[in-house]
Amino acid sequence: MNKLMNAKEYEESLRKLKLKVYMFGKRVENVVDDPIIRPSMNAVAATYEYAHKPEHEDIMTATSHLTGKKINRFTHIHQGVDDLVKKSKMGRLLGSQTACCFQRCVGMDALNALSITTHAIDEKYGTEYNKRFLKYLGYVQENDLTCDGAMTDPKGNRSLSPAKQFDPDLFMHVVEERPDGIVVSGAKAHQTGAVNSHEVIVMPTITMREEDRDYAISFALPSDAEGITYIMGRQSCDTRKLEGLTFDRGNMFYGGHEALVVFDRVFVPWERVFMYKEYDFSTMLVEHFAAYHRQSYACKVGVGDVLIGAAQTIAEYNGAERASHVKDKIIEMNHLNETLFCGCIACAAEGHREPSGTYQNDLLLANVHKQNVTRFPYEIARIAQDIAGGLMVTCPSAADLASPEVGKWVEKYYRTRDDVPTEHRLRILRLIENITMGTAAVGYLTESMHGAGSPQAQRIMIARLVNMKHKQKAAKELCGIEKGDQVS
Amino acid sequence: MRDRKGRPGKLKAGIKYCGGCRPEFDRIAAVKEMKEALGEAIEMVRMDDEEADFILVVTGCKTACVDVESLPLKAKKYISSLSDARRVMEELANKTKT
Repeated sequence: MNKLMNAKEYEESLRKLKLKVYMFGKRVENVVDDPIIRPSMNAVAATYEYAHKPEHEDIMTATSHLTGKKINRFTHIHQGVDDLVKKSKMGRLLGSQTACCFQRCVGMDALNALSITTHAIDEKYGTEYNKRFLKYLGYVQENDLTCDGAMTDPKGNRSLSPAKQFDPDLFMHVVEERPDGIVVSGAKAHQTGAVNSHEVIVMPTITMREEDRDYAISFALPSDAEGITYIMGRQSCDTRKLEGLTFDRGNMFYGGHEALVVFDRVFVPWERVFMYKEYDFSTMLVEHFAAYHRQSYACKVGVGDVLIGAAQTIAEYNGAERASHVKDKIIEMNHLNETLFCGCIACAAEGHREPSGTYQNDLLLANVHKQNVTRFPYEIARIAQDIAGGLMVTCPSAADLASPEVGKWVEKYYRTRDDVPTEHRLRILRLIENITMGTAAVGYLTESMHGAGSPQAQRIMIARLVNMKHKQKAAKELCGIEKGDQVS
Repeated sequence: MRDRKGRPGKLKAGIKYCGGCRPEFDRIAAVKEMKEALGEAIEMVRMDDEEADFILVVTGCKTACVDVESLPLKAKKYISSLSDARRVMEELANKTKT
């Protein structure tokens, strides 16, 4: 029986996990209900709930190529260009509904990259990784699981390869081989949605050479496997969530999170190992995953939709919406945001079929898209702050507005129009603050910069993937250096 | 359209929405407006309801990327703008009067 979970069922499934989570130096006993973590759980829950909404299911669900059953798109292996395009649209949709990172795309990208790479390893070495992987995929689809796609190692000294680090654990590696599986040690940093995941899928983070073969490993584990510890990352303004459900948090419902995930001598059974020392396939896995995940930054377009809506709203509340420069700034925000959408649609529309049957997006265009994502959200955020005005960072708290003593002064002096309550003005300012410099800025800005690879990683790929000879040939023929078949 | 006793008949419309990634109009509000305007003359049901007389395919933009191939083989009416919604509403209103 295929299970398409709803939000409540997802939440209950998380309660069954026995995760070892630390935050502010203490063990978190109740992860699901923790006030700082819960908004991020709500965002993942939205990926489940929206699959049940008639007005969104066409994007949020797909048909499993394994079983023919309806599944959540986040567990789907892309079977055509249409799937790739809908993946981008799903990112925009959920970004626009949550205004944060909903954390589930990274697992989908890991599943798709592994479907291609395990097939390729088997073709060369006669192994059976793809068979194992497909069995695992069936389990993920059947139970509608959220997977943390864990790629980024701490990496230690960037000038040294994994095998040459002063501490071998700075890259995930195998420390023991047993008849029934392997034992691994290491860590994965910046793991988005880690404590909201049922499974963790580990992949190597860089190209491995022969000397690094112990580091060329990929596997999947239940997120509460023995030996895994989660240490939550801090976010700007995170403790506002401890102040109760006040509008000072900006986004009243959703958020994201990242964690350092430590693997201390963790056992992995063979049936869950998808790459074992085949270092010559590490590049393939990394590049395919990176291309998928760079496309996944379609979500920032959705967050941009919210920020543009907030900027227009505060302009209207301030009575500035008719000013020509404000109108022009809103146009610029839309131009940048839709340009991002062009990139994530284009790399999907230009996708192709891999030998495994999985459809891969266009690597060059995916990298170009992500390169734009490292820049445009910053400019959109800058314009939003410009339109919002300085009150965004100087306005008193929700508690001051509610104060019997000073609330009347906050109400009086921050009122702009008869028909707009002061509280509404402060609420929309707090949302802009949240996205551009609060907890959601982690996702909208810095994650846009470094997530799925820092800007230089995309530039290296762009340089490698463009056909420069083709461009030079066109130039040389048109100016007469070389003879072509031009019409004359 | 009339039932066997000659009274104006009720139409059953199966609704199929696109995913709604960047709708150019409020799809839900448009269907709600249609339902309110047509009142008892029409019943909105799920697109896979076997008793649906036709399927109303509501898409947020003219790209209309909705998967129609998997829909039941029934007549389909497409709405991808507010003007489409009004046109279909008038058409259905006329149909249920006759």
